[in-house]
Amino acid sequence: MDRTTRKLLFAMAGGLLATAAWAEDPIKIGIPVGLSGANSVVAPSVVQSAELAVEEINAAGGVLGRKLQLEIADDASGAAGAQKAFDSLVFQKEVNAIITMETSAARNAGLPIVAKGEVPFIYTSFYEGRSCSPDLYVNGWVPEQQVPPVVDYFVKKEGAKKFFLVGSDYAFGRGMLEFARTYLEKAGAQVVGEEYLPIEGTDWTAIISKLKSSGADALITSTAGGAPNVTLTKQLRGAGIKLPYGNLAVDEGTAKSMGPDAAGIYIAASYVTSIDSPANKKFLEAMQKKFSGELRTPNDLSVPQYEGIYLYKAAVEKAGSTDASAVLSALGEVSVAGPRGTVSMNKQHHAPLTMYLGQVQEDGSVKVVETFPDVDPGTQCPNL
Amino acid sequence: MTILLDVITTAAILFVVAAGLLAIFGVLKIINFAHGAWLTVGGYCAVATTGMGLNPWLALPVAFVVGSALGGITEVLVVRPLYRRPLDAILATWGLGIVVGQLITLWFGRDVQFTPNLLSGTINVFGLDYSFYRLFMVLAALVVGLGFAVLLEGTRLGLSARAVIMNETLARALGIDTAKVRLTTFMIGTGLTALAGVLLTPLTSVDPDMGLAWLIGAFMLVMVAGSSFGALAVACLVFGGAQTLVSTFVSPVLGGITVAVLCALVLRISPKGFARA
Repeated sequence: MDRTTRKLLFAMAGGLLATAAWAEDPIKIGIPVGLSGANSVVAPSVVQSAELAVEEINAAGGVLGRKLQLEIADDASGAAGAQKAFDSLVFQKEVNAIITMETSAARNAGLPIVAKGEVPFIYTSFYEGRSCSPDLYVNGWVPEQQVPPVVDYFVKKEGAKKFFLVGSDYAFGRGMLEFARTYLEKAGAQVVGEEYLPIEGTDWTAIISKLKSSGADALITSTAGGAPNVTLTKQLRGAGIKLPYGNLAVDEGTAKSMGPDAAGIYIAASYVTSIDSPANKKFLEAMQKKFSGELRTPNDLSVPQYEGIYLYKAAVEKAGSTDASAVLSALGEVSVAGPRGTVSMNKQHHAPLTMYLGQVQEDGSVKVVETFPDVDPGTQCPNL
Repeated sequence: MTILLDVITTAAILFVVAAGLLAIFGVLKIINFAHGAWLTVGGYCAVATTGMGLNPWLALPVAFVVGSALGGITEVLVVRPLYRRPLDAILATWGLGIVVGQLITLWFGRDVQFTPNLLSGTINVFGLDYSFYRLFMVLAALVVGLGFAVLLEGTRLGLSARAVIMNETLARALGIDTAKVRLTTFMIGTGLTALAGVLLTPLTSVDPDMGLAWLIGAFMLVMVAGSSFGALAVACLVFGGAQTLVSTFVSPVLGGITVAVLCALVLRISPKGFARA
C-alpha cells in the first residue's frame, strides 16, 4: 500500500513539474548471472544481449512510458552466490522482475527469494526441466526438446546402438542424462555406461578409460558449461576418442574458442547464429554495431535472454502495470517474434521451440544438419 | 593395462604439480598456500605466449622465468618476515593467492581461456592407443625429479640447501648465507610451479581458479612426503593409484576426494608420513 501511494505521489509530482522526460521510476530488471565461476564463459554474452534489448526498448519509448533499467549481480554460478545476488536485487534494489540465465543450483536457490519478494522470474537458460513455480517462466529448452534430435540422429544416421553418458554431478548434468537414458532405451538403444564427476573435478582419466573399454559407439555428455566442458573435451581428444560425440551443454561461442578440439561435436540448440531469418540478421547486425570489438558471439543462452526482456515488456503492456500477479498471468499469454522465431511460454510456463541439430566445423562455425520445428516441451508442470 | 597407464600418468601429473610446493616446504618449512595461484600464473603464461603467436612450448621457459621472478618478489616482501611464524605464513600466502587470482581476473577477465595443445593424439603402447600427452607427463615428472636429485646432490646450492634442511643454525654458523639459499629455493619452487601450470593446460581449461583444484591434493601429498622427493614420488604413485582405482571401480565422485582422505588417514597413523619410509 505504502509503495503504491508513494509511486502515485511521485507520478503526480512528475506530472506537475513535467521537467523530466520520464514521468516515473524506471522499471528495474534484475540479472543475477554467473560472472565468475563455471558460467563465466557465457555470462558476458548474456549481459550484452540484455543491454541491447533494453537500449532498443528505451529508444522506442520504453514500457508504459517508463524506462527499463538493468541491475546486474554476480551469482558466482552457484547456490550461495545466488542467494546473496537475489537477496540484494529483490530486497535492496527492489527490482520489478528477474530475467536471467543461471545454473540450476543458482536458480533453485533464487526461487524462494523470488516467491517471498513477489517478483516475476523469467529463466532464460536451457535446463533439466520440471522446475515449477507460479513465479517462474522459462523460455529456454528442456531435455524433451533437446535430447531427441541428437539421439535420433545418432541412431538413424550413424547407426549407433551402444551409448555412453558422461556428465557433471549436479542437477542439470544428471537431469539431462536421466532423460537421455529413458529416451535411448525407448528408442531401442543400449546405455553401456553412465559416469559423473563433481562440477569442480578436473581429472576425467578413469571415466575416459571406462568409455574406451565399454565398446560404446556414441558418446553423449552433459557437463556444466565452461571449464568442465573444456577439460572433458580436451582430455577426450587427448585420449584419441573419435566416436560420434553429442554435447548437450556446449554453446556455439565456447565451441568456437575451443578450436580444433571441438570439431565434429554435435550440438542441439534452439539458437545458432546461422539461422537464416530477417529477425536474426537484424539482431546480429545490432549486436555487432553496439559492441563491435567487444562482441561475444550470441548464443543459445544469450538470445533467450534478449527475447526474455521483450517477453516481459509484452506482458507488462498486456497487464497495463508492473504488478507481479498481473504480469505473471500475462506472461503465459504473450508471444514475441525474436531471432529464434516466434516464442510464447504458453505450455505450463514453458515454450515450444524450433530446435537445430548442428555439427561444429573445423573453423569453429556450426553447420545445421537438421531442423526440428516447434518441438513441444512436453509435460513440465501439469499443476500450473 | 589401461589402468596401469592411468595410475602411472596420474601419479606423474600429481608429482609435477606438487614438486614446487615440496621444494619450498622441504627447505623453508613454509607451506606456500599461494601454490594454486602460481599454477594459474603458469597457465596464463601459456595463454599470453600463444596469444602473441609464439610456439606453445616457449611458454615453459617463459613461465619458469615469470614464476621465479614473482616468487623472488614474494619471498622478499611477504614470506621473509614470516619464517619464524609458519602459521602466519600460511595465512599470508593464502591471501597472496587470492590477490594473484584477482589480478589475473582484472587482466584477463574471469572467463575460460584456451591454449593450443602441446602434443595431440595418441600413441600405441603395448597394443593400446593411449594419450601421447599423458605419457609425456611421465617424462616431464622424471625430468623434474631427476633435476632435483642432481640439484640437491650434485651442486653447491644443493649442499647448502641440505645443510639448511638438517640444521639451519649450524649452517649459518658455518658461514652459509641462509637468506640466499632460501630466496633461491623459493624462486625455484615458484618457477617450477608456474612451469607445472603450463604443463596442465592441455589437460584442463585455463581460468583464474584453475590452480585451486590442485592445491589441496598437492598440499596433502607434500604433508605425507615431508621434504623428500623420493617420498613424494612414492606418495604420488600410492595415492594417485588409489584415486584412479576408486574412480574406476567405485565412483569418480569419490575418486576426487581419495587423495585428501587417504593422506589424512596416513598422517593420523604416522605423523611423519612417508618421510621415514
